[in-house]
Amino acid sequence: MSFQIPIGPQHPALKEPISLRMTVEGEVITDADIRLGYNHRGLEKLAEERTWIQNIYLTERICGICSHSHATCYVQGVEKLMELTPPRRGLYIRYLVSELERVHSHLLWLGVAGHEAGFDSFFMYTWRDREIVMDLLEMISGNRVHYAINTLGGVRRDLDEGQKSKILEGVATLRKRSEYYFRIGATEPSFVARIAGVGMLSKERAIALCAVGPVLRASGVARDVRKEDPCAVYDELDFNIGTADSCDVLGRVVVRVKELLESYKMIEQMVKGLPDGDIVAKAPRKAKPGETVSRYEAPRGENIHYIQANGSDKPERLKVRAPTLANYPATVEMLRKGFIADIPLIFAAIDPCICCAERTVTLVSARSGEESVVRMSDLRRRALARSGNAPVKGNAVWPF
Amino acid sequence: MSDTDIVESLKRDLGAKGLELANPAPRRIFLKIAPADLLATATVLRDKYDCAHLSTISGADRGETFEFLYHFASPVAVITVRTGVPRSEPRLPSICAAIPGAILYERELQDMFGVTVEGIPDARRLVLPDDWPDGQFPLRKDWKHVRTEEVIPGGKS
Repeated sequence: MSFQIPIGPQHPALKEPISLRMTVEGEVITDADIRLGYNHRGLEKLAEERTWIQNIYLTERICGICSHSHATCYVQGVEKLMELTPPRRGLYIRYLVSELERVHSHLLWLGVAGHEAGFDSFFMYTWRDREIVMDLLEMISGNRVHYAINTLGGVRRDLDEGQKSKILEGVATLRKRSEYYFRIGATEPSFVARIAGVGMLSKERAIALCAVGPVLRASGVARDVRKEDPCAVYDELDFNIGTADSCDVLGRVVVRVKELLESYKMIEQMVKGLPDGDIVAKAPRKAKPGETVSRYEAPRGENIHYIQANGSDKPERLKVRAPTLANYPATVEMLRKGFIADIPLIFAAIDPCICCAERTVTLVSARSGEESVVRMSDLRRRALARSGNAPVKGNAVWPF
Repeated sequence: MSDTDIVESLKRDLGAKGLELANPAPRRIFLKIAPADLLATATVLRDKYDCAHLSTISGADRGETFEFLYHFASPVAVITVRTGVPRSEPRLPSICAAIPGAILYERELQDMFGVTVEGIPDARRLVLPDDWPDGQFPLRKDWKHVRTEEVIPGGKS
């Protein structure tokens, strides 16, 4: 007897309102179906009616967590179209904000992973630490979320010596605190046991389904836009791609912890090696006809913008593909053969949005057609109960 | 493999299929083919050029034709495969047989440009609502958004 569980369109575990319909047999998910569009804002159409400058602030509002990613990807592309070379100091500040944003996004995600796995003190710790980086971002840009630091040809605000030393101090504290996350497996084997083996995605399937970002790297594929398509400053920085080959949620945690430490390294390099000079070059109002493909490694994975110019002050076409969309086919694969109880954990592992208050999931019984509404907290409680009853995965080891 | 190597090798492998080949910027290669050659080209790119990763498919309304751009990302370059279909008969073959991850992008194209993707494993709507009127394709240039008149039950007071 199979049941269907609709999840969404309004659902806490997802970045956007999205509808997922799970076919389950007993506790096991046999199929998952996806339906998007509940939050479609017609942004690509809107961008065709806005000027190049106005579109920076439009693209910044695509995402509320990695706002800087979209703006940077867009600005990179438009600068190519306008044949504009931003000053190196401007570029360093731009990508410094990028890495700080990655730190805040990954810390946020680690907290969510801990929370969904029933390890709430981990959530408290990481979110406390995240405040440090949020304060740094506010100090640099004046804003906590939409930094609005990018402009065509560079950035809008400069850094002074006091700010530089504050960034270095903040990063030193964060690095110390992050070392705790390294040791967490040794002190909390139940956390590792809860996330090991959940949401499996093999290397072959990850590649075939065009997964991106930490999801791809946790399946053992070392691909990162910062390495393979280095824009501006990344080829001058010394960093490694964090990967894991366990192909599950544990791997995704490991990849993000590794990336945190790599980001600290990059931030220190950029602050210490900040070149002197201007921060912005004057941009023309119009761009010559042409096209460009711009890629950027957002915290969630590869972000790609395709921009066509027609010679006017507005784009002819702006195509945006955010990383979460690329990960949906892989999510469906991860959910298959998984348990209902693992749904929150698997969803959270692709790093969807976090402004998730407690909302509801509707469970429909196919036999009686009766719907019962379950709160997210109950679903999580069931998840904990199931994993409590399951034999502890004794072979799961913390890889650090 | 450098950009010029890729361009040379693509010329050899595709022969007459490759209509135009350009390398306007480092790590950016643009290739034009006929729609009928899409699946074969995608297979060649996947097997020989390490382009199993399709970043996305962009569509653009160019008046008499619709232009579709498949952005394939290999570890060394982004190979953009461009193809055009006439506006009067917008049909495109699916490449899901070679790249299963293309499904969402192809469904999005169907919604936004009204192109029929032939052989798509799942042709349902993706981003437009189920009650969206037929024949309305938002990303076509002649489509304009008209805000529906607001109806307030009981009228404005």
